[in-house]
Amino acid sequence: MESMQLSDSALVTLYLAGQESAFALLLERHRSRTFTTILLIVRDEDVAEDLLQDAFIKAIHVLKSGRYNDEGKFGPWLCRIAHNLAIDAFRRGKRVPHLSLDGDGPLANSLAHSEEGADDALAREETHSRLRELIQELPPAQKEVLLMRHYGDLSFQEIADATGVSINTALGRMRYALINLRKKMAVNPPYYDSNLTLYDPTALRVQRIAS
Amino acid sequence: MIQTLPYTTLLRYVYNELPVSALPEVEEALQHDPELATACADLLLAQRTLEGLRCEPRPAVSARILEYSRTFPTGS
Repeated sequence: MESMQLSDSALVTLYLAGQESAFALLLERHRSRTFTTILLIVRDEDVAEDLLQDAFIKAIHVLKSGRYNDEGKFGPWLCRIAHNLAIDAFRRGKRVPHLSLDGDGPLANSLAHSEEGADDALAREETHSRLRELIQELPPAQKEVLLMRHYGDLSFQEIADATGVSINTALGRMRYALINLRKKMAVNPPYYDSNLTLYDPTALRVQRIAS
Repeated sequence: MIQTLPYTTLLRYVYNELPVSALPEVEEALQHDPELATACADLLLAQRTLEGLRCEPRPAVSARILEYSRTFPTGS
């Protein structure tokens, strides 16, 4: 099976036909985005892992009971499930405001997978850690759009539909989320890696135009 | 200098949400409007930085999900 080239919709069809390997591919494809979305809301790795399981279990139930009908948009559908679970958990207070680098948690994983030197990895993690904190400080509506667009793989129109606003409102919220992050980063910058900052535009300017 | 395109159009361009027919106008504007090009580069850098925040759960979590799927009773 040339599975990496199959669409989500095709994988769902194969899964419903009994191919568990198709579900493994869906999990692999959407695990990181879904987990990051949850983690940035609940801010606790263990809770985020529990909620990730809950989200996929809910998806399995819907899929295997024949109730799935999302016009081939598995990723955005899964993201909405995960987002709702995370928001519910956050409101119930199932979180602690701390992300640990100890043990073999996801943040440690991200460092372990890096090919850069230890100092670079630490500087990068410092920047990421600061950015995670700043995302928490965004107004809820801005944070919601940023997470849905970036980690949930929803288009701005899909976000608008899911949150009951116009696409221009969704775009405006994203704009102000990015502006606010930039302002906050400027106030108290971490160790700067020029490849990580939001402020040095020269390197990428032509790249996008040429692509 | 006044930007030649609305910022919302630029956002949709950076996130690959503009129809193909709209791309030439944006790319033409980027070549002639340095302020717009800078704003575009800012967005791309922010996008890349945010992508860097992605995390993975522990492998055991994936294993548990797959196990749940494998043992899910059929026909329920």
